[in-house]
Amino acid sequence: MKSHVILLFAPAIIIAAGFGGRSITTAELNDQYSIFDDFEQTDSLWLFSDKIGAASASGVERAKVAIAGPLGLSSQEAVYFVAVVDNEGRALTSACEYRVTGGVIDARWWSLTLYDSETQHYVPNVINRSSWNSVAIPRADNGNWDITISQTPQDDTWLPSHVGEGRAFELNLRVYNPSDVTRARLLNIELPDVERTSC
Amino acid sequence: MLRRQDIIFGGVTLILAAASFFIVRSITINHAPKTVMANIEARIVQGAGGWNACYHNRVFGPRAGAARRANPDSIISSMAYDLSDGPVRISGEVWPQYWSLSLYQQNSDNYFVVNDRQLPTPNFDFVIVQKGAKETSLMGTQIISPTDKGIMLIRRFAAQKSDMPAIIDNQTALYCGPA
Repeated sequence: MKSHVILLFAPAIIIAAGFGGRSITTAELNDQYSIFDDFEQTDSLWLFSDKIGAASASGVERAKVAIAGPLGLSSQEAVYFVAVVDNEGRALTSACEYRVTGGVIDARWWSLTLYDSETQHYVPNVINRSSWNSVAIPRADNGNWDITISQTPQDDTWLPSHVGEGRAFELNLRVYNPSDVTRARLLNIELPDVERTSC
Repeated sequence: MLRRQDIIFGGVTLILAAASFFIVRSITINHAPKTVMANIEARIVQGAGGWNACYHNRVFGPRAGAARRANPDSIISSMAYDLSDGPVRISGEVWPQYWSLSLYQQNSDNYFVVNDRQLPTPNFDFVIVQKGAKETSLMGTQIISPTDKGIMLIRRFAAQKSDMPAIIDNQTALYCGPA
């Protein structure tokens, strides 16, 4: 009798498992932070991956990058660092203001871009700015620079965050043609500091 | 009381359910990059007016409709290529602040990249050819594409808005089309 019951429901169980596999995998791949699951932690707050666009990436890594950050350059050409927390490990949110400070990065050029974590796109703002790059950013004599991230306009190097209720954001630092010295120690080069200044 | 036959039927059902789960998961993972590529190719084809033609972004800074996590400091020319009717050529001049040409196969891997400092001259002439095809009569540097279709991107670094007129001239001088 029980065998007949099992045989009756077996096809439905097998088909349901297939649908479950699809929906669970799709949700996993589309999760807003899943692209960073396989990134490595650097010595600072930044995450790093050399698997962007790489043939050596696993199927899951390739799928996550294709969905959330398609058409990136392989690490042969550029390296990507991502920050989703400040220097005390607190999630970045537009409800707070931050000061990002950095120095010279030994590479041909770099750019630092702010994205809304939920949409994974630029944050619309009144000055239409979502990034600063190594050429345009004002620097001190020693090459150091700083950026203010806030909802409210700033007089200096301002990177606008989402206006209104606090929303999670991330910073993406792209480093193009890093020097051999930089490339040899990507996990412990000096990267910008992200300090929360007010909330 | 379960009979031996019940246990066997139950066990086989569980094994088949697990197999179904993992097979579908594997297909979903392998299919995702190809779906993304197909969607991006469709957008490029729409913007460029067809396959094997270039579409130029001419907007400085962040723009609506860009790909997820696109770099606003990089001004891009893109081409969706299809080699089923023969090789495809890309030729022009590099952009001195930074220029790179990258190629992506259908699983989204970046299988080729070159930048302006790696080229012997400021002018370039590349021909994308099918894997296994011998194109001895064609001029230009040949690049073998692992898949018949794919995407070509040219990135140019725009440090400030004043770079745009020269970048647009550089885009205009670019040839993308049948070899």
